[in-house]
Amino acid sequence: MPVSQYLANIKDTVQSAWEGMTVTFSYLFRRPMTVQYAGPEKAREKHELVQDTLPSRYRGFLEVDLAICTACNACERACPINVIAIEIEKDPANPKLRVMTRFDIDEGKCMFCGLCVEPCPTGSIQHTREFEGTQRTLSNMVLRFVDPAKPAPPYKVAKGATAFPRAVLGSITRPLVKAWDSPPPPLPIESAEEAMAHAAKKAH
Amino acid sequence: MALDQIFITRKFGPNAEQEMILNMGPQHPSTHGVLNFIVHADGEVMEKAVPEVGYLHRSLEKIGEMVSYAGFMPYSDRVDYLAAMFANEGWALAVEKLLGLEVPPRGQYLRAISCELNRIASHLIALGSTAMDIGAVTPFPYALRERESINDLIEALCGARLTYNYHRIGGVAYDVPPDWTPLCRAWLDHFEKVLDEFDRLISTNEIFLKRLAGLAVIPAAMAIDYGLSGPNLRASGVDFDLRKAHPYGAYPDFQFKAPIGRAYAGLSRGGKVGDCYDRYYCRVLECRESATIVRQALDKLPDGDFINPKAPKKAKPPAGETQSRVESVRGEMAYYVVSDGSERAYRLRVRTGSFTAMGIIEEVSKGLMIADLVALIASLDVVAPEIDR
Repeated sequence: MPVSQYLANIKDTVQSAWEGMTVTFSYLFRRPMTVQYAGPEKAREKHELVQDTLPSRYRGFLEVDLAICTACNACERACPINVIAIEIEKDPANPKLRVMTRFDIDEGKCMFCGLCVEPCPTGSIQHTREFEGTQRTLSNMVLRFVDPAKPAPPYKVAKGATAFPRAVLGSITRPLVKAWDSPPPPLPIESAEEAMAHAAKKAH
Repeated sequence: MALDQIFITRKFGPNAEQEMILNMGPQHPSTHGVLNFIVHADGEVMEKAVPEVGYLHRSLEKIGEMVSYAGFMPYSDRVDYLAAMFANEGWALAVEKLLGLEVPPRGQYLRAISCELNRIASHLIALGSTAMDIGAVTPFPYALRERESINDLIEALCGARLTYNYHRIGGVAYDVPPDWTPLCRAWLDHFEKVLDEFDRLISTNEIFLKRLAGLAVIPAAMAIDYGLSGPNLRASGVDFDLRKAHPYGAYPDFQFKAPIGRAYAGLSRGGKVGDCYDRYYCRVLECRESATIVRQALDKLPDGDFINPKAPKKAKPPAGETQSRVESVRGEMAYYVVSDGSERAYRLRVRTGSFTAMGIIEEVSKGLMIADLVALIASLDVVAPEIDR
């Protein structure tokens, strides 16, 4: 390699490195892209939660407002991976009516695709902007919207109704999310006889 | 022959004892995912590098036969996590073809907008990681910084940052949110400046140019023989873009170029058509083209439905078979669907660009240095989940 070529190479390299350095240097004076996750103390005092900074379409944890749920099972059928479990029984007090004894959403299995939200006739099931649900026990990720002691009756849609009164998004799910180190729930079926009885009941 | 020798010969070939066998991956930071290369090397020079794929196989095609047509849409996100919009669109196009369903113009435009934004996001990762694999760490966070803005835009549009699940059979899931269009336009103005800056930062860097110029050249004939597609094929000088050759959706309405390789590194530096730098620089140019497509689509965005109101809630296409092709970020993505008239596909096959790009590595890697393999993989822009599905 001739000396002139050698020197030209050095000149080109230094020049392009300098060019790159000027770009890097200019980044010192730009607004940082980073967002403080937990927020400084001031933001916490003002109750500026991360959830509130997310766009309204954000697909976080699912939430069901049982007050306007018609128990139509459309969401359960739309889900490709059976995240939602609904059980409907006859009301023991009034056998003509039905009640929901179970409405479970397994947030640990959910892939947050939003396919269950679309067929809902009343907008009862919605994605919230909640996303912090770390759990030490996976089964604690299951959100139980129906208290087994208090079965929920289905909502009756008034004729011609287009709007439905829905609770504030997130107000139902937020209290249901457990603390990260809460103990696992008791196993629903304890003995072999109970399991047999459960299976027989299901088959029936 | 001892048993271990038989094993070595079977696995690595008859010359195994004379060669140095090097396993690159599956947990190697520069293989872009869980991907293994068995490198047959003589010192630093490779005899060949054989890709071993299958570590990320998730049997998505089988899952497609288990879930309903609408239910496969979130799974198609997982075919290629960096370009989920294209996998969505390919699946939607295939099922629409089976059903004979039309997409309203607004839906088609929204598809084009979301796809092209996603193309920019994916190319930014490719550009940044190409630079990082070669040793220039700075461009990668800068590229990610810009990608975050696209993620914010797409998050406002469809609610997710990675697995979008935005397209639906017959259109798209949501309309443009209010005040989104000016935000998108402002970001595009900003982005074109950033690309110029990116060129100053790394694309015109002398060291970077000389490192990639004339490296791992794929001639046009060879690229066609091995079935390369997308930017990898165009970098070899073949002008083939599905958006132009077989237009789908709203693409016939837009004016754009499909950049092809022209030895951008410069002949004086030893640049050749189809070298690593061409593959890199074609992606930079494609980012610019995608930005102009988004701009045109925002200008012309028609009114009307964004999803066909006749789209069935439960798709049950008549028996038959069909194929859909989309120009994905990593080449042609094709869905082949066989329907038997039920709610689920009878057979589903996904063709992806990364898988065919893996086939050419063994041929191109002959005579390269081991360190150049990293540059070759990065310039082909393979994504491991897309290889295996």
